[in-house]
Amino acid sequence: MKKIILTFCFCLAATALMAQSATLPANVTLHNLNGEPVQASAITNDGNPIIISFWATWCKPCNRELTNIKEVYDQWQEETGVKLVAISIDDARSVGRVRPHVEGNDWPYEVYTDQNSDLKRALGIVNVPHTILLNGDGEIVWQHTGYQDGSEDELYEKVKELATKQ
Amino acid sequence: MIRKHTILLAFLAAAAIGQAQGILGGHVTGNIAVDGQMSSADATIGAEDVPEKLLLNSRADVFYSNGGFSAGLRFEMYQNPLLGFDSDWKQGQGLANYFVAYSTEKLSVTAGNFYEQFGSGMILRSYEDRYLGIDNSLFGLNVQYRPVAGITVKALAGRQRLYWDYVESLVRGVDAEVNLNSILTPLQESPLHITVGAGFVSKYEDDESIIASANPEYRLNLPLNVGAAAFRLDMGYGHWGLQAEYARKGQDPSVMNNYIFREGEALTLNLTYSQRGFSTNLQCKHVDNMAFKSLRSREGQMAYINYIPAINKQHTYALLSMYPYATQTVGENGLQADVIYKIKKNTLLGGKYGTDLHLNTSVITSLHTDSLGGRGTEGYHIDWFDNGGIYYGDLSVEVAKKLSPTLKLVATYAYQVFNPVVEEPATTDGLHHNNIVVADLTWKVHKGHSLRFEAEWLGSDSRYDDVNDPRAGDWIMGLVEWNIGSHWFLSASDQYPYNDGSGNYYNVAVGYTHDATRLQIAFGKQRRGMLCIGGVCREVPASNGLTFSLTTNF
Repeated sequence: MKKIILTFCFCLAATALMAQSATLPANVTLHNLNGEPVQASAITNDGNPIIISFWATWCKPCNRELTNIKEVYDQWQEETGVKLVAISIDDARSVGRVRPHVEGNDWPYEVYTDQNSDLKRALGIVNVPHTILLNGDGEIVWQHTGYQDGSEDELYEKVKELATKQ
Repeated sequence: MIRKHTILLAFLAAAAIGQAQGILGGHVTGNIAVDGQMSSADATIGAEDVPEKLLLNSRADVFYSNGGFSAGLRFEMYQNPLLGFDSDWKQGQGLANYFVAYSTEKLSVTAGNFYEQFGSGMILRSYEDRYLGIDNSLFGLNVQYRPVAGITVKALAGRQRLYWDYVESLVRGVDAEVNLNSILTPLQESPLHITVGAGFVSKYEDDESIIASANPEYRLNLPLNVGAAAFRLDMGYGHWGLQAEYARKGQDPSVMNNYIFREGEALTLNLTYSQRGFSTNLQCKHVDNMAFKSLRSREGQMAYINYIPAINKQHTYALLSMYPYATQTVGENGLQADVIYKIKKNTLLGGKYGTDLHLNTSVITSLHTDSLGGRGTEGYHIDWFDNGGIYYGDLSVEVAKKLSPTLKLVATYAYQVFNPVVEEPATTDGLHHNNIVVADLTWKVHKGHSLRFEAEWLGSDSRYDDVNDPRAGDWIMGLVEWNIGSHWFLSASDQYPYNDGSGNYYNVAVGYTHDATRLQIAFGKQRRGMLCIGGVCREVPASNGLTFSLTTNF
């Protein structure tokens, strides 16, 4: 048993060291707010960066993050062409509230539901809120977990770095 | 088992080395999560002593993907499980889950452990929640076929995970979902969106000896195969949306329904209307005898094949979530309504920055049943439109208002009625009535620094002397949270039942976040409930001492 654990730790260390740009998985189906299926790999933004924000209607910090970004979103889009895609992990209990929540709060984002956390799990995400930044080629270049007021400034610095590279 | 693990590890190691040398390509992703706890006994709050001194729940997921191919494994360790986790997790550590999958544009095949959900999960949902200690992943084969855009067909077969083992029973299922707008030309440009779906799940379980209650000479003739089917509809037109699902289950005598031979059924309806700044939804639910388990004689929360969610709002403030409602899969009726309204800027009520209103109400009752006999009979008869006693009811009003460029206030009032019979084991009988007020103030001190204050009050008609429940009595709570940049936070809070001596819950916490890595250490007394500090929410059991949590993604 000890050997197995050692081998496992080695694997983990090896993989962690060479962590490099993954993309969104090919085989995960999300739903849009009209209930229509959309493949996660179909999320694109014409070669511009994409922010993927995992959230839930019941998650207070997630709501603070998406509300605060809304105030600066126009400016972010103009300056960098970035797009925010909000992925709700609400399950059957609250998924029916996602569309009213988004439209009632007047969020300008592209929103999908991930009812059984398939995409969240495939990306190895532990908790919400969790933010992933994709570059123009759809590669994951940065991730951030949790939200505190001001976290969005750090996120936008990363977005600007990407935008100037292109 | 060990041999299998070794092969898998060898495979992953090869993949890892191959990638490092640029032979294989592909990507490796994953996470590590460690939760630890040190707790000493405190009878007043129900905290248990920890003879091991330190409890640890840990896990690591590693995924490898290369084009359409992917594989993954999860290492889990419970040495020993945190307080509140079932002791069945105690058997230690190992590679708990693993899978290989291949996916093309039209076809996805997964072999190994997989998670799947048909519709809203009323007949099948395999999922995991590490904070709740639930993982009912299926081990077997899962195939998804998408012949044309808009049509998805799923077929699966497997055995369900139960702690460190798999149950003997088999679970088989098929499901199809069709988006009519994608396949019917006249609907393609239509504002009417329609998606329909249907699923069927069958369970096979070996026979066992259960004695009929009417005559102990007889044992029940148990159905070995139990089927369940569900139909669903998702429609949208302009501002309107409607989701409906109806499920039916064959005779399924089990410990959950006292071994009665009665079919189960469930219906959920959700109607929504939403436009910029105003939205509402109305939800109703009828559940009758819908506990669908892979083990008919298993009590409690484990071995469920399906998932029947609660429909009341999931509150996150500590005192608002003190009396959480648990779904009664054996039978309940529920109604829920929710309204979000944004009052515009520069109006009388909106003020300079506008005001957000959020109203929610729900009521959940038992079914009104007429008994037809015990074990081995049809059980009972119900009238669809007749309710039994109340299980849970609440009404909440939340007002969010920006007071100045640096101050934001969220004020909440809620009224709750709670019936303790929904808890296992029931703490007492008789309804609890609660009034709750919460004020939540955020002050942006300057760029990158913010302070958040919470003041909460709960007035209840339950008294500790009457019900012997640590939640009883009237409570006050205060919390201060200091966010320093986007990396550090400090918080301190206290919950106190001021007219009952059932405990004083203080808590201090510090946390550090860097990119996708987060470390949090807390010290204090924790009552069971939902905890949200420094930006992350989780459910926690009672404890008295130190807790820490480390998570990272790569």
